[in-house]
Amino acid sequence: MLGSVSSKIKNVSNLQYEEKKFEFWGPTPDEARKIMINKSHALKDKRTTLKEAVAKFIKDGINLGIGGFVNTRVPVAIIHEIIRHGVRDLTLSLHSNSICPELLAGAMILDPDRVSIKRVELAWWGYEIIGIAPLLRYLTTNGMIELDDYTNYGMSARFKAAAMGIPFIPVRDHGGSDMELVNRGMMIQCPFTGKNVYLLPACHPDVGIVHVTAADMYGNARIFGAHCTCPEIAIASTYTVMTTEKIIPTENIRSYPNLTEIPYPAVDALIEQPYGAYPGACYGFYWFDMDHLGMFRSICEDFRKTGNKDALKKYYDEYIFGCETFDDFLEKVGYKTLKKVKELDGGQPIII
Amino acid sequence: MSEYTPFEMIAYTGSRVLEDEKIVFVGTGLPIIAAMHAQLTHAPNLYMIYEAGSLAPILEMGMPLSVGDTRAARKSCFLKGLCAAFELTQRGYADYAFIGGAQIDMYGNVCSTIEGNNYSRPQVRFPGSGGAGAMAANCEKTIIIMALEKRRFVKKVDFLTSIGFGDGSPDYREKAGVMGSGPYRVITNQALFGFDEETRRMKLLEVRPGLEPTDIQELVDFELIIPPDVKEMAEPTKEDLRLLREVIDPEGYFLKRVVKQ
Repeated sequence: MLGSVSSKIKNVSNLQYEEKKFEFWGPTPDEARKIMINKSHALKDKRTTLKEAVAKFIKDGINLGIGGFVNTRVPVAIIHEIIRHGVRDLTLSLHSNSICPELLAGAMILDPDRVSIKRVELAWWGYEIIGIAPLLRYLTTNGMIELDDYTNYGMSARFKAAAMGIPFIPVRDHGGSDMELVNRGMMIQCPFTGKNVYLLPACHPDVGIVHVTAADMYGNARIFGAHCTCPEIAIASTYTVMTTEKIIPTENIRSYPNLTEIPYPAVDALIEQPYGAYPGACYGFYWFDMDHLGMFRSICEDFRKTGNKDALKKYYDEYIFGCETFDDFLEKVGYKTLKKVKELDGGQPIII
Repeated sequence: MSEYTPFEMIAYTGSRVLEDEKIVFVGTGLPIIAAMHAQLTHAPNLYMIYEAGSLAPILEMGMPLSVGDTRAARKSCFLKGLCAAFELTQRGYADYAFIGGAQIDMYGNVCSTIEGNNYSRPQVRFPGSGGAGAMAANCEKTIIIMALEKRRFVKKVDFLTSIGFGDGSPDYREKAGVMGSGPYRVITNQALFGFDEETRRMKLLEVRPGLEPTDIQELVDFELIIPPDVKEMAEPTKEDLRLLREVIDPEGYFLKRVVKQ
């Protein structure tokens, strides 16, 4: 490879792996640019329904970029609709996530003809305090999906490079770890300092999915609490589907344009969906629901241990296939639970 | 001396290692608890950075249960996203990393990706690097929290996730293109380890009262450097335990967990 050099990583660990031939796992930077140029960039009303948005943008074989971070502002409502709609041969791109990839993995285990994941470029997949992700473990130990490992900064920087319209980005991590050997980045000698520096390829998802605090009808979005890497994912993706807790007047956006984190041309479909990250959290609105996350996780863990799919199927039949919309799911969750997670957030100060 | 649990000992030792007027990059669980304890005792001007994007929050809603938690964002000085947090770290603003893992070798290389060495079909798959690989690369000093067991203190890790001193050669980290000075301490409930400047190998610094260096060597699969002046680990006082149990983790989310044998 042109200009590539080596760190001293060889043989430090026991690792056995196969070299990956480099390819982009989604649109190339040139393809991503072309799609963006050919779109209308008018201030258009992007409001639609989840059903319409998913039917329009979610296609077999796409790279799906998932926003949020572990249990924070995770686009659960969009994932539910994707599962109802069905999509095969997905590539997932994420830095850290919990229930979103687990829900897709569960759908794949129940019916691979409806939903399937081919590969995942990621940094972390689990539930933090609630535990490991059982279905990630199941799929990987059975050799059912291909993974490509980066650090959280690595994946975030890859989205950032794509959002900047550059094909790669130099970073100061991955080198000297086994990620240097297994992932699609590359060590080079810096042309200016003469020192080794690691390059990561840009990551343009075909479709990015994010949940935000507030947006106007054109998609100008505000995010309060941790931004995670949602602005970069939205801007990097060739198409972005966005759910928002609340649609706000454009007047508000234009009064404080500094507060816009995602500009309107980056958004293709916008859906007002209160509690759209539940059972994850959304700063200023609700905290994460440890009970629901724990319940789903333990159902997955039981399947992993026993191979019995009954409880898993029951969860999907009740909460996803048994619902026409995400509002139906929230109705099943119930007012008292939604009230409780709202109280746990403590009403963080936000400007909308 | 009061009775304390293994996790309380780890949190207390983690707190002791941290200094005032520094920034510590924390992950969920024991690192946050250790940093909170340090703030409440000897390091009132120690600040935390969380990878989801917050710098120096005031944890008045209680201990965050997730790095992206509302509680970790509450009243911070600066609140952006992952790129900002890690770029500050690359730039040199983060003094300490706190990381954990499933395996560690004598050079402080840590695995948190797989168990079993076949990447495409591991025996066990862990969540992955998360922030740890970037923290170990670019925070100035890496502090590692581990359970002291032979299957974890191994001759070779199955997958090198978070860089330590690599193969031990003096220019390993420079050739790797990383910025931090590398592993600084390894904290377990029975021993505290550092690293030998000359060889970059793990060195025993302190053992829990009642234990001998030989007891520790038995729990480690590689040869430790054992200097003649190994000290006793300080134990948490009644007041330290009160802070840990009543102020920092009153729900016992982390400190009341049972150690899996």
